[in-house]
Amino acid sequence: MPHQCVRCNAFYEDGASEILKGCKCGGKLFFYIRKEKLEEAKNMTSNLSEEESKEIEKDVMDLVGERKEGDDTPVVLDLESIRVLKPGKYELDLVHLFKGDPVVFKTGDGKYMIDIVETFKRAGEKEK
Amino acid sequence: MIQALRKLLDKFLNSLFKKKKHIKLGLYGPPNAGKTTLANKICTDWLGEEMGNVSDVAHETREIQIKEQISIKAKGKELSFNLVDTPGIATKIDFEEFIKAGMKKKEAKIRAKEATKGVIDAIKWLDDMDVVIVVLDSTEDPFSQVNITIIGNLQARDIPVLIVANKIDLKKSDMKRIESAFPQYKIASISAKFGNNIDNFYEALLDMVN
Repeated sequence: MPHQCVRCNAFYEDGASEILKGCKCGGKLFFYIRKEKLEEAKNMTSNLSEEESKEIEKDVMDLVGERKEGDDTPVVLDLESIRVLKPGKYELDLVHLFKGDPVVFKTGDGKYMIDIVETFKRAGEKEK
Repeated sequence: MIQALRKLLDKFLNSLFKKKKHIKLGLYGPPNAGKTTLANKICTDWLGEEMGNVSDVAHETREIQIKEQISIKAKGKELSFNLVDTPGIATKIDFEEFIKAGMKKKEAKIRAKEATKGVIDAIKWLDDMDVVIVVLDSTEDPFSQVNITIIGNLQARDIPVLIVANKIDLKKSDMKRIESAFPQYKIASISAKFGNNIDNFYEALLDMVN
């Protein structure tokens, strides 16, 4: 499945080292795109200015939350669950979210982790 | 699996002792249906203090809010619960809507981001709920993707649901439309803002849980 760097729009296949380490352009956020939605995704991201790409990158990193200081491991957002069309414009697929499908995939230690418990800690758990 | 077993055990013990229960009661629904207004009404009636801020601008509640140990009584029955107010669930969140409501661009974008996170959090909390009150705006069309998805998922998870048709004080309120949309559910029609029919709501809640 293709992954697209939000900053420079480059595409990477599953298992590409750039997804684990970060894109050549320095980007650390990738959109995870199913093949049948590829054309749609290309149209979506090609309309973004550099400034907008950076804003989306920052917003999604904030959304993911709980990133420790200095943690710059790449994050992959599953467009099937959440789409960020432009900065501040979100579309949520409730069916996927209610099913408990992961929203983000994190990379770390050279591995690709589906880790929503870690990335979306709930308010109640923070207090523990 | 362990959680499911624990729930089963809790249900068994509750039915065995039939005394005061202590449950997690969640308020779910689309934005601006009046979830926090109802939470405030419940808290004011039984604790003497409000729970959170309300606003005409959608997505005012963007974080889960919890009020612990609320006890309500009606017709000789009693129920003790932790009330969980959740952010409104939506399929589209657009900062431009907040700008139209008078916000500055930066503030609107932050609200959109927080509201999106709020939707994810609300959905993640659903599994922790013992009972859910789905709050709907009775002036709006009930056949929306948000309403159908929330109620369908609660049914699939076997979580008891009470539907609250709110804002009956408004002229456009249409109870029949809500009743025809969800004929298999108990529906309490209220005005959380003015307290209309609120006693019927408490009785319906106690009937459902006891």
